[in-house]
Amino acid sequence: MKRLLSLAVTALTLCLCSLAHAVTVEDSKGRFSLDYTPKRIVVLEFSFADALAAVGVSPIGIADDKDPQRVLKQVRDIIGDFQSVGTRSQPSLEVIASLKPDLIIADIGRHEGVYDDLKKIAPTLILPSRRETYEDNLKAAATIGKVIGKDQEMQARLAKHKTLMQGYAKQLPNNAEVQFTVARKDDLFIHTADSYAGGVIHALGLKNPELNRSDKQASRQIGLEQLLAIDPDYLVVGEYVTPNIINKWQNEPLWSVLQVARNHRVYRVDGNVWARCRGIMAAESMAEDLVKVFN
Amino acid sequence: MKTLSLSALLLCVMCVLVMMNLSFGAVSLTFNDLLSGFQPTSEFYFTIHEYRLPRTLLAMLVGGMMALSGTLVQGVIRNPLASPDVLGVSHGAGLAAVLLMTLYPDVSVYWLPWTALCGGLLAALVLWLLCGSHSSAIKLAITGIALATLYGSLVDFLMLTRPLEINNALLWLTGSLWGRGWDQVTMILPWLILVPVAFWLAKRINLVQLGDDVATSLGVSIPVTRLAVLAIAVGMTAACVSICGPIGFLGLVAPHLARRLVGGRHQILLPCAILVGMTLLLLADLVARTIDPPIELPAGIMTAILGAPYFLWLLFRTK
Amino acid sequence: MKSFLQKLPFLGQCIALSFLLCVFAWLSLFTWSIIPISGTQALSALTSPNPNNIAHRIILDLRLPRVLIAGTVGACLAVAGAIMQGLTRNPLASPSVLGVNAGAALGMATVSTVAPWLGVFGTSVAAIIGGAITWSLVMILGTAWRGGNEHGRLVLAGVAISALCAALTKAMIMLYEDQAVGVMTWLAGSVADARWSDWQPLWPMALFGLSAAFLVGPTLNLLNLGEDSARSLGVKLGLVRMICSVLVLILVGAALSAAGAIAFVGLLVPHIARALTGQDYRKILPLTAIMGATLVVLADVVSRAIIFPMETPAGAIIALIGAPFFIYMVRSKTS
Repeated sequence: MKRLLSLAVTALTLCLCSLAHAVTVEDSKGRFSLDYTPKRIVVLEFSFADALAAVGVSPIGIADDKDPQRVLKQVRDIIGDFQSVGTRSQPSLEVIASLKPDLIIADIGRHEGVYDDLKKIAPTLILPSRRETYEDNLKAAATIGKVIGKDQEMQARLAKHKTLMQGYAKQLPNNAEVQFTVARKDDLFIHTADSYAGGVIHALGLKNPELNRSDKQASRQIGLEQLLAIDPDYLVVGEYVTPNIINKWQNEPLWSVLQVARNHRVYRVDGNVWARCRGIMAAESMAEDLVKVFN
Repeated sequence: MKTLSLSALLLCVMCVLVMMNLSFGAVSLTFNDLLSGFQPTSEFYFTIHEYRLPRTLLAMLVGGMMALSGTLVQGVIRNPLASPDVLGVSHGAGLAAVLLMTLYPDVSVYWLPWTALCGGLLAALVLWLLCGSHSSAIKLAITGIALATLYGSLVDFLMLTRPLEINNALLWLTGSLWGRGWDQVTMILPWLILVPVAFWLAKRINLVQLGDDVATSLGVSIPVTRLAVLAIAVGMTAACVSICGPIGFLGLVAPHLARRLVGGRHQILLPCAILVGMTLLLLADLVARTIDPPIELPAGIMTAILGAPYFLWLLFRTK
Repeated sequence: MKSFLQKLPFLGQCIALSFLLCVFAWLSLFTWSIIPISGTQALSALTSPNPNNIAHRIILDLRLPRVLIAGTVGACLAVAGAIMQGLTRNPLASPSVLGVNAGAALGMATVSTVAPWLGVFGTSVAAIIGGAITWSLVMILGTAWRGGNEHGRLVLAGVAISALCAALTKAMIMLYEDQAVGVMTWLAGSVADARWSDWQPLWPMALFGLSAAFLVGPTLNLLNLGEDSARSLGVKLGLVRMICSVLVLILVGAALSAAGAIAFVGLLVPHIARALTGQDYRKILPLTAIMGATLVVLADVVSRAIIFPMETPAGAIIALIGAPFFIYMVRSKTS
């Protein structure tokens, strides 16, 4: 009888435990429920790896375009070794299946087409990542925190993030106009207020230059003439390669007409961190970059 | 006899390729793993049954249908350089798909194949409206190319004015079997009904090849036959392109290879071309998946790389 | 407009079209600028430049080289198209249809993605080499020299080779996602980033190519009489083909390296010139040069206007006009 009772108690506790872990959240495809704490997680975008690392969870597989260097250094330091599952645009479903994950986090922009296949491998949480804004990203991180059973840790981390960002904001000039651009070999792209970088700039109490645009595109290719028209106070250049188009333009007489050139306010940052890695730690890293260049 | 042994050999090669497609990839499996993969309890169930099996089947279906429509087009246009591509169907489908992706980025991707299918069929309709059924074969081909160029420049224009979408669109436009499963297999299955119709028309195509005068004197109406054959080719190409994107050179090269193997009689040529097409696409997809895992190259690029040198040699020889 | 131009004598046509070109060039100097510039400023910048005036700086440093390069590139491509059509006696011949553009793009994509170590010569040299290879392949495989009834074969060969090059280019772009946009823009053809430094290598090549082209005009006339007649009139066919091919490559190469693969100019313009002046290549070539320049300069203005304040590549605009014209051409010129 005693044994039976203890068995019943154990069963009840187990039941309660699993109930305690059962979560239901809203993802881009509707309701997503999970009744266990996932241990083997595969993520298909850098921003999801960032969210996991923020609460000290290591994914076993990341779609890293077969180049681990593309994952933010701070994130890599926390999560340690992981296996590449191919490119973000076409991750290898075979490799994902062979890792036997118990949770997959996918991007609605890139992976909607294989959502059904992913669900056959493991429960799949699908959230926005590509072309998301800063606020979207924080929301996605909170959702991920709930699903992996680290809701409190994630809320704490987000609160810490907010404080950190406010701290950085104090070290930065208020309302200064900062334009973030991505420089490739022969092309320059501006990231507008609707982009992720634009959101981080706004969150740091800085301003994105007003652009006379009709469409809400997050990124646009521009020429020197358009840059002259924007004429921002500060120019942050995310470099994918060096030498790039900015080096070319700097040798032109017209470059010196720009405010940023006259006041020496062209700052170079890592294009990978600024344009590819979105996330809590990426945003903090971007803020650190800004504090460094402004002081 | 020679034809029979050749077909048997082709079948063997194809079976070997099917086995290889099932067992190799980013993760290599042994034969036993492979067999167990068909049981739902196996740990390889997803890899084999949900992933590699439908993909292999799709490669066979698409490869066979592309090759068949290529043979049909070459048969009635009577030009060895013609292929389903010259009808502008793939480019039309591509334009429709890119239009959907750029103008309505929020629409679910499940609509993509249907949109592409409509685009492909519309493109064929435009070609038919422009040329009618009495144009010469070569005029039809060149008009098709011109239309394809127009669709191509529209695609470029859209992709340049919406730069963020480039890579997504490119993925589709190059032709790939990545991420295609049972759903796509069931989508393409109804089109198989066109295959027996094509076989039924084989004799007439032989007559068309003899020249307009001979065919007419034997009581075969050239415009009607041509229209029917091209309609079948368009239907199959549009179906394939809507699932996998344009798989280049397959419809151009497979018929030539088949013709070298079994000669020009369409009763034998058509089935043989289907076998060749299946083999080629299976090979292309196998190489594309295993060349640098876990990165997957689009199969359409592999068919171009495999097919183009052969095509160039062919061009050179038929001078 | 067309009938008015047709009635004019050749010299009058030249002057009228040049005037049109100048008007568009002048418009191109000041219209659709985010920093307001007036038409008179555009003229005064040329006559009495003032380095402290920002409008003058924009005109002299950005707009003027852009107009010059657009015009020169247009002239080069159009004349190259006219020579190709004369040489192959094929009304559909032009750099884009015969695969030269696609080959050049492949060359350029190879250098900028897979094999940067080849880049010692710069991407433009790679583009020219790629274009030269495809051009020779198409010419040999398409049996271009036969002319006459083989229109279809030549075009099909060009299309097949273009498709091959395009597939390879796409593969490279996809594997090296970072470079995708750069190659795409180049493929469409744009003069948005044209500067004086691009003008330096362009003008000697263009000047040499264009003047040499005007010299071969009479020979092209003889070729048009048919091979046998040309040979009996003392034309060394092999030599002429060689020289013309080299000329085409110089002209196309110069244009490609300055502005990217602008398609359809070479197809479109020679036919308009022929409609204005008839079959005489001595007249066709100069008119083609002027109108090619006008077309690209105009397209560049439109490319700035269409989604102002951003820009689209000028080549994309021309392709939108050119492709329907190509269809019209095919329908009227092939039997």
